[in-house]
Amino acid sequence: MVSTPFEFNPYSPEIDRDPFPAYAQLRDRYPCFWSEHAKMWVLSRYEDISNALQDWETYSSSGGNLMDELPNRAGSTLGSTDPPRHDHLRSLVQVAFTRKVVDGVIPIAQEVAERCLTAIKAKGRFDFVEDFSSQITVTTLFEMMGLPPGDHREVRNNVMLSMQSDSVTRKKEARHIDAFKKLVDYITAQVEDRRKTPKDDLISKMISAEIDGAKLSESEIVMTSTTLVFAGVESLSSFLTMFALNLHDFPEERGKLVAHPELIPSAIEESLRFNTSAQRFRRILMRDVELHGQSMKKGTFVCLCYGSGNRDERKFEQPDAYRVERNPKGHLGFGGGKHLCLGTSMARQVTAAVMTQYLAAIPDFKITDTNLNWTPSTTFRSPLALPLEIE
Amino acid sequence: MGKVRFVKSDGSERVFEFGDAFSVMEVGRKNGVEEIVAECGGSMSCSTCHVYVDEAQLGNFPEPDELENDMLDCVSAERKPNSRLSCQLELRAVEPGQDITVTLPDSQI
Repeated sequence: MVSTPFEFNPYSPEIDRDPFPAYAQLRDRYPCFWSEHAKMWVLSRYEDISNALQDWETYSSSGGNLMDELPNRAGSTLGSTDPPRHDHLRSLVQVAFTRKVVDGVIPIAQEVAERCLTAIKAKGRFDFVEDFSSQITVTTLFEMMGLPPGDHREVRNNVMLSMQSDSVTRKKEARHIDAFKKLVDYITAQVEDRRKTPKDDLISKMISAEIDGAKLSESEIVMTSTTLVFAGVESLSSFLTMFALNLHDFPEERGKLVAHPELIPSAIEESLRFNTSAQRFRRILMRDVELHGQSMKKGTFVCLCYGSGNRDERKFEQPDAYRVERNPKGHLGFGGGKHLCLGTSMARQVTAAVMTQYLAAIPDFKITDTNLNWTPSTTFRSPLALPLEIE
Repeated sequence: MGKVRFVKSDGSERVFEFGDAFSVMEVGRKNGVEEIVAECGGSMSCSTCHVYVDEAQLGNFPEPDELENDMLDCVSAERKPNSRLSCQLELRAVEPGQDITVTLPDSQI
């Protein structure tokens, strides 16, 4: 019998659906693995990923951080810039994510959630993404960034298409790039508008800001803002959806949250660990690195498999068990190091607020189609729709 | 060798030597002080290693820079005049023989 050599193909629909068996093989047998499919090294153990995140001088973000990059992003966004420029830019953008701002958007998220839940209860059958998570995230994010209320469906569709890659051609196709361009055009128009009429919002602040005596480039302003929309809409909406899916799949755990809503923040950490939507990000090597007997050369890309590090038994006890009381510390659900997700506080607060409302209104729900359609993406993981019915 | 005293809001405290730690945050993490979450590992990209420094000892450390000041606006518990990110409290700045006392906030996330 000829055994097939192990492969790791982040483009395969099988990995979109369930990457965890492949991750276990990577961690145990190939902790530093060259993926011919992705043309990059893959790090899958918690400790290796964690070390790489702290060592930004070796594992640089300057070559882009998405597994398949989008046009003009590398070098123009927070996630694709190294210090010291990254730190200046981050300091600037951070003002949109202060405690005060986050506290201010929670009532807005709750209002949208209330409206969604009324409509859902009247229908009985619903799509959690379309009818709940997407509406909340787009409205909340637009409010936070001072963007005029948009069509949440259109914005989300463009974001979702942008984040995908074709599973056959293994790259971004015209439909993905076009969707990204539509988002960029929309933001460009908003930047143009703020140049004429400055407001008290993030885009206006970026326009007037200076780093080392120089204004930000148009590309930095547009791409940073576009990425915030992209990250906010994809990540928060997908995370809410994955959280709901976990609560569906583990009814006993859900029962604990219904009885004790004060456990919801701990459950959020557990879902971030168990299946973060940010499964894989990449870095580029600035020097040769020897790891686990492999020689990784300067200039090659390295995939940091957050989703795998979060299931590493070397770090987490019984990592494949979903336990709402675990309250895991140090998980990689938001990445880590310099590029730790900017929206951690907003994501946690909004999720806790709206899922408390959701579970109070709909304590029991069931999936109507177990054959979920998973997003074809090398970076992110979530179902495109989560069809549910109230029990 | 100097020590860091971590005081909880209920008054209980734990004391650890500086050891080879670079910052107050590292002393906390190395000794399992759970209240120091330090999600980003000390690169000032989160605000989950927030502490209140004993006011008489604030002068041991340089003033917060612009980024730390912005991040302090993101802390979960109340920001006070003696609020600092413990990853920015470098121990090499402390006078030899002096101990540092910090109070832990009730929440970091």
